[in-house]
Amino acid sequence: MTPWFLGISFLISSSLAGIILVFLISGSLPIFEKYGWEFIFGEEWYVGETYGALPMIYGTTVVTGIALGIALPLGIGTAVVTSEVVGRRMRYILKSVMEIMAGVPGIVYGLLGMLLVTTWIRDLFGLVDGNCLLTAGLLLGVMILPTVMTLSEDAIHVVPNFYREQAYALGLQTHEVIIYAVLPQAIPGILGAIFLGTTRAMGETVAVMLVIGSLDRIPDPFYNLFAPAQSIASKIGREAAESIGVGLHWNALVALGLILFGMVMTLTWLAERVGWTGRLQ
Amino acid sequence: MVVFLTSLFIAGFLSVGGLIPHTVDARQSVIKVSGSSTVLPIVARAAEAFSAHHPDIRVLVNPGGSGVGVKSVGHHLVHIGMVSRRILDDEKIALPKADFRIHVIGRDAVACVISSEIHDAGVTSLAKEDIRKIYLGEVTNWRQVGGPDREIITIDKEAHRGTRHVFMEYFFGTSQVKTLGVDLVTGSNNEQRTKVALSDTAIGMLSYAWLNNDVVGVDIRDGNGILAFTDENVRNGIYPMVRDLSLVTDGMPNDLSRKFIAFLLGPDGQRIVREMGYVPVR
Repeated sequence: MTPWFLGISFLISSSLAGIILVFLISGSLPIFEKYGWEFIFGEEWYVGETYGALPMIYGTTVVTGIALGIALPLGIGTAVVTSEVVGRRMRYILKSVMEIMAGVPGIVYGLLGMLLVTTWIRDLFGLVDGNCLLTAGLLLGVMILPTVMTLSEDAIHVVPNFYREQAYALGLQTHEVIIYAVLPQAIPGILGAIFLGTTRAMGETVAVMLVIGSLDRIPDPFYNLFAPAQSIASKIGREAAESIGVGLHWNALVALGLILFGMVMTLTWLAERVGWTGRLQ
Repeated sequence: MVVFLTSLFIAGFLSVGGLIPHTVDARQSVIKVSGSSTVLPIVARAAEAFSAHHPDIRVLVNPGGSGVGVKSVGHHLVHIGMVSRRILDDEKIALPKADFRIHVIGRDAVACVISSEIHDAGVTSLAKEDIRKIYLGEVTNWRQVGGPDREIITIDKEAHRGTRHVFMEYFFGTSQVKTLGVDLVTGSNNEQRTKVALSDTAIGMLSYAWLNNDVVGVDIRDGNGILAFTDENVRNGIYPMVRDLSLVTDGMPNDLSRKFIAFLLGPDGQRIVREMGYVPVR
């Protein structure tokens, strides 16, 4: 009984990724046949006329980058303090709070972002409107912070005390112990945490959709983070229901999904290569 | 195989998205409705009242836009679609087997709306040509159209939205217009209203029933006269961009759906249409 069950579970789980990939590739074939590379490098998206994914690819990349820029220093910093500095009781409280925050659905962040963060960003930077790349990135940064923090903390916390004791015995200060003895041991785990945060940021749909402005355009100049834009996930979120299953519009959206899938797979591959040894080979 | 996978994926996607819980099961006493967020308030309220009369029938209503309404009916994912525009030729071509029947339940006007701050600053009417230029990106400051020296935030809607079709068809003669002056794109009326209200310098398009103190409809100057945006002008059709709000079924509605549509066209249903801020048809 048990071996059967395990075997079937294994088969189902491992074939799911394959099924998704087959679906994405077969669904996006028509668009690549018609537009080829122009689909990926095209900058215009007008349903029924032309489909270009570059603004969406750009938006996803930038928004994820901003989110990481916020979540990495904050998340890892908090993780170090939680694990190495504060007492057990405080650690328990901090961890519980972070784990609850990690479970808050995207729509909650999205609504808060639309009603509060867009106006804050607008007033803070003196903009005409707060729906922009920066707002979306900030919001995503806050969303993935708990994931990055709590998983990094786990990785740091499980470093055996042996290393700390040895380092202290050599006369190192607390901050030196953390930097030279503890963190190097925790790097694979921290990378895992960063990776999970990154993929969540890339795939987040509704929170981004409500604050990014949903304009399929690369800002001018391209580094203008105060401009409205569009991410892959928010584009699919806005148009998928309308194009249900038929026509080139649908193929184009599936192809967007394939691109996002490809971006995540590349990251996974990189993370695995880095993760085994803690450094790039 | 591919078809199977596709349908499996779509079904999964839709149920995860909460758009349509399951495909239609004719044996259950459930009426599934989806589509235009303009028509939704009427149907949602009517569904409550209807279920009070018929406790054995459940009406499930989901938003998504007119395009979603038409496609969902065409693919038999719901019994009734809500549409706030006509059914496009493209949609008829994409769904050749569907035999769409339109049931008009009310009328609505699409307003060109601006932030109340701009309205208070003196912009109470805009020339048709000015609105065209704002959406094309040729006019970018309120000063150019007689308002304060403020950049304009131009808000568009997702391409398949019924409100957008009506708006663009009036201003440009076609809904397939490339609005290069646009700053933001929104989905439902609710999202559009929130974004216009949160901004103090925005222009957008909104269904009549969604206007409030923060979001004001402007009068439109078209050639020789002013088309004032008043209840009176909407009712008697002088204001342009007046449209039918309809339910659409594939072929004749089944018994349950027919009961529900009849309810909407009856005195109670039409009172709800009026309460929701739209114009009754009977």
